[in-house]
Amino acid sequence: MSTLPTPVESFTSPHKVDYTFVAGTGRSTFLRGLKHRTLLARRCGTCERVYLPAPEFCSRCLVELSEPFQLGGSGVVETFCVVNFPFPGQTIDPPYLVAYIQVDGADTTLMHLIRDVELSEVHIGMRVEPVWCADEDLDTSMNSIRYYRPIAGGSDA
Amino acid sequence: MRDVAVVAFAQSPGTAADRQDDMAEILLPVMREALASAGIDRSEVDFWASGSHDFHEGRTFAYIESLDAVGAWPPISESHVEMDAAWAAYEAWSWLQLGEGEIAVVYGVGRGSLATDLDQVTNTQLDPYFLAPLRPHQDAIAAIQAQALIAAGALDEKQMAEVVARARAGAVGNPAAQVSGEVTVDELLAAPYLASPLREHDRGPIGDAAAVMVLAAGDTARRLAQRPAWVRGADHRMDSHYPGTRDLTRTDTVGIAADKAARQAGFAARDVDIAELHTGYSYQEPLLAGALELSGAINPGGGPLVARPTTATGLIRIGDAARHILTGRADRTLAHATNGPALQQNMICLLEGDR
Repeated sequence: MSTLPTPVESFTSPHKVDYTFVAGTGRSTFLRGLKHRTLLARRCGTCERVYLPAPEFCSRCLVELSEPFQLGGSGVVETFCVVNFPFPGQTIDPPYLVAYIQVDGADTTLMHLIRDVELSEVHIGMRVEPVWCADEDLDTSMNSIRYYRPIAGGSDA
Repeated sequence: MRDVAVVAFAQSPGTAADRQDDMAEILLPVMREALASAGIDRSEVDFWASGSHDFHEGRTFAYIESLDAVGAWPPISESHVEMDAAWAAYEAWSWLQLGEGEIAVVYGVGRGSLATDLDQVTNTQLDPYFLAPLRPHQDAIAAIQAQALIAAGALDEKQMAEVVARARAGAVGNPAAQVSGEVTVDELLAAPYLASPLREHDRGPIGDAAAVMVLAAGDTARRLAQRPAWVRGADHRMDSHYPGTRDLTRTDTVGIAADKAARQAGFAARDVDIAELHTGYSYQEPLLAGALELSGAINPGGGPLVARPTTATGLIRIGDAARHILTGRADRTLAHATNGPALQQNMICLLEGDR
């Protein structure tokens, strides 16, 4: 019986594609706020939902959201997890904690890191506040907030 | 066959690069216009189908963003094709044919401007072993087909220039067009080659646009439109993945799809008043017109040679073919959509208005 030829197992053909991303009008409003150390929310006039970050229009009612208004930034941990595994492209050494934070006055949640605390002490309902970067590093980017941390002496929500 | 018609169609103005709107923002005004034109509320829509491509957007599941212009809460019945939205229209038409509902909305978002070089994207759809490693430009593959047609005596460069001159003249006053104007054949033939025998004007300008179509069945269609554009027949056929296995001077998939659609419709491509062809390149018009034995007008508003918003382009062909009937300009029209290099996959729709 003849044997089949050995199949080619690999060859290299790397694809590279460059893109321009378009943030959109809604996202741009929020991102510009971050550059000025502010968290800009917007309200739906129909369902009263407050979005943070806010798109241009309510994804449930499909109507344009209100003019942006500022929220303080402090909020409550709604849920969280501790990342223990390494992966390609990781920028922080594990273990670290990522959380869903409901900022006071918003009906949606913001995702960010929680630091400056023993990871085992973080719990759902814990009150947290943003730690902004230095003035010279402020940008139209989520990285304008370095992370969230527990409010000193803050009680749970 | 169930009576299924296009009852409304809208599209955004032609633009080379929309740097203001995200996917939902470019879609929402068009969605509003189409639903208002049909006089319906989104709660009346039974099924949603859309077409766009993650590789054009540079993100996985990119189209999910467009659902913010549809309203996915409370949950809806929807589907998406990772290709030209003409195929989403085909899915919605089939869905209505099966009697699953009464009203379907189809939309396409094409944003060709996001990839810095669209050829980096189109390479990824090619045969990964023999063709993609060579990185052929889409214009080069098209030029190979055009050259083969010239060698076969089926085409010459003057014919191609005539197609472009007519398209640009027809586009004057068309808000969807990215280029328009009176230009002579001699002026066009004096331009340098891009990939011989093709010149820059022989390919439709890539751009950004959204398009929305409302389909409805039977009496619902009669209620929503004064003169519904009945989709009497539709079929699509695909050729092999590797162009080297094809005779590029033949378009068998077009002929088969047209025959199947004609059998459903009871009339043929040669019987239509206006044909809207997905001609990304000028040379494709004589080729398709010959295969379909067309005798009426072709792409009167300029077609893809004046605006090519990638994955919305084919859906816009069906929309334009429907508009000719909705507005009473024609009684029978044809729409053609294509996908893949060198007319690899082709769809034919035959539409008709009540007389």
